[in-house]
Amino acid sequence: MYQRSIALLFIVMLTTETALPVGAEKPEGHRQTQERGRHIYEQACLWCHGTEGRGDGPAGWAIGRYTAPRPRDFVSEGFKFRSTPSGELPSDHDLFRTVTRGIPGVMPSFGSLTEQERWEVITYIKTFNPAFKETPPIPLNIPIPSVPASEASVAQGRAIYLQFGCQGCHGENGTGDGAVHRAGELRDEHGLRIAPTDLTSRASFKNGSDLRDIYRTLMTGLDGTPMPSYAANFEGNEDNVWHVVNYLLSLSPGPSQ
Amino acid sequence: MTGYSTKPRTSLNRFARTTCLKAHIERPSIHVLGLLLCAMVGTTSLFPPSEAQAIPAFARKYAVTCTTCHTAPPRLNTFGERFLENGYQLPGTEDGGSIGKKNLGDISLDDVSHYLGVRLRGNVLRNDRFKQQSPAGTEPGIVENKSELGFPEVFSLFTAGTLSKNIGFFVELESNLKEGVTGVERAFLTFDNLIGQDLIHIRVGRLDPSAASSFSTLRQHMDTIGESINPSSDVVQRAGLLPLATAGKFYGLRDRSGTVMSPYTPALYNGVAETGIEIRGRPFGEWFLYQLGVLNGAHEGSGDTNKGKDLYGAIRFDYVRSSHFSASMTGFAYIGNSNAMVFDGTNNANVNWNRYGIAGHARYKMVDLYGMYTMDHIGHLPSAVSATFDKTASGLSIAADAYVTNQTLLSLRYDHMDAGGERTQRASQSFVGAQIKHYLRTNVAVYARGDANVRKAEDGNTAARNLRNAVFVGIDVAY
Repeated sequence: MYQRSIALLFIVMLTTETALPVGAEKPEGHRQTQERGRHIYEQACLWCHGTEGRGDGPAGWAIGRYTAPRPRDFVSEGFKFRSTPSGELPSDHDLFRTVTRGIPGVMPSFGSLTEQERWEVITYIKTFNPAFKETPPIPLNIPIPSVPASEASVAQGRAIYLQFGCQGCHGENGTGDGAVHRAGELRDEHGLRIAPTDLTSRASFKNGSDLRDIYRTLMTGLDGTPMPSYAANFEGNEDNVWHVVNYLLSLSPGPSQ
Repeated sequence: MTGYSTKPRTSLNRFARTTCLKAHIERPSIHVLGLLLCAMVGTTSLFPPSEAQAIPAFARKYAVTCTTCHTAPPRLNTFGERFLENGYQLPGTEDGGSIGKKNLGDISLDDVSHYLGVRLRGNVLRNDRFKQQSPAGTEPGIVENKSELGFPEVFSLFTAGTLSKNIGFFVELESNLKEGVTGVERAFLTFDNLIGQDLIHIRVGRLDPSAASSFSTLRQHMDTIGESINPSSDVVQRAGLLPLATAGKFYGLRDRSGTVMSPYTPALYNGVAETGIEIRGRPFGEWFLYQLGVLNGAHEGSGDTNKGKDLYGAIRFDYVRSSHFSASMTGFAYIGNSNAMVFDGTNNANVNWNRYGIAGHARYKMVDLYGMYTMDHIGHLPSAVSATFDKTASGLSIAADAYVTNQTLLSLRYDHMDAGGERTQRASQSFVGAQIKHYLRTNVAVYARGDANVRKAEDGNTAARNLRNAVFVGIDVAY
């Protein structure tokens, strides 16, 4: 019974996106919460995202200069880091995850804010875009990894990697030096040059680098960048996602594998 | 030229000559240099190549590129300014006790790599066109060209960070191999967010007063080029190249030990570092900053007799909202209290050397404009020298930095100084400089720079006219 409970708990943790770094309860989005969130935003966020959340803060331009990335425009743009389908707004927990973890190379982690404060600032950020008031999209349900990281799985993952043309951007061996990138053809939504992730350096995985993070990135894509969602390609072949995940993680062996 | 120090000058380094901050290590010793080398090698070995491509301590700690805080190092963007003001913590947070920390019993420690940063910079080639006089100012002189190869001579080791959420620290050790000076440049503790968020921050130690100003002395892309001194007579042969608004401006003014100070060295509020205590904060929000400080006094390293403390205060107004634009304006006053001396023909008499100034910056996307006007005044000037010593001086510096490509930064600067002091030497002077700096990586840059004396046609036998133009090629590396 005890073991079954543990197993059940494990399954719930793996299949529920909300199990990510969230402890505090999400506060209600009432006016007081928004006001507290505004205060935090103006001290911590507006430098890059601007007072109106348009990604045009006074320090934001310096990050990429003439290349991507630019700070997120909360008002009119798509969001990169989501567990929701491509083109949809992120879930609250997606926003919470980004604020908490930051984005390697670009945005520092604001994990030092209390969970309450992070929820408050997210409540405020959502006021920039009226679409957040509509029915929230259903986040992806990430299943338990169904394929262990065996040599066979890695080999199959590599075959899929090549079949889907990932090497065009990420390179034959995942080092981020694909022909499309070298030709300077990769652009983001602003028309700015953007570099593909070096898959051999796990620290540079902007959307996280554990199994679930990579699964999520493959299935939802990174809106506003050349990285598409592969959900349609994998439909009916869920195991193939895990093969690719195993392959990608094999390129950068690390503690979170 | 009576009154000029006859002490041998071993250095053209602005820091050494002006503030004598390295009082306890005036000359580089083999041991210190060896220690530095070990530190550099040790530091380097801490970071594997993939990490060394990234940047110094804070970037490593927060896993971001240096442009998160800098428009182009060393200039800060608004996020970086607030990070600095917040005691090396992310703006709006008090993460000093948590981010990057490991708790070991009752202490929490960062990884060493989160504390250490290194910068190596300097000219590998310089060419000066100047009028050589021997001794300076006493003969017409001849115009010469001189080219010199060099090795990047300025090595800085930074260690900085947080001890807890309310306590931070900063230490900069600099070794200038060419100038022969090694020592602690700045070293201070910060006590942050006392009473409430951003209400009171305190800095104690050897600090740079202009750090939070709209025009920070130490964050110039066009580095200071020291003036040339005649080693036998100790007279300034030709002008230095630096933001002249920050400079000392007075010929013949002496420090507390009686040594004549160079007019080409950052001083007072714009000094590189002085020992004291400072309080600042933003009690009304992001638009307003106050700053109050007490210092031992200018050029304390040359012999602070504790005659009196110097005071300074500044207010800064900020516009930081959106549209990739920010602007600020800073007004400051530095009130000296027997912080300098003037030779009255018989003795060195105490004077009060004061400075008032206004600085501003405006930044839009890739263009960063900033400038400062300062006015210096000598109070309590001995009546015996009132006819021969000009007690007022002023300086103006206007600069612009702009990324012309993603990796190429163009810098321009105009400097003007109406010098004060001994009327036989003082002369107004204006220089323009242009520099193109190419970043091979975000933290590795090469540059070429040219400076020209706008008023060289006026000729005259003064340091201000002797330098005609100069060209420099160098590197700037931080890791």
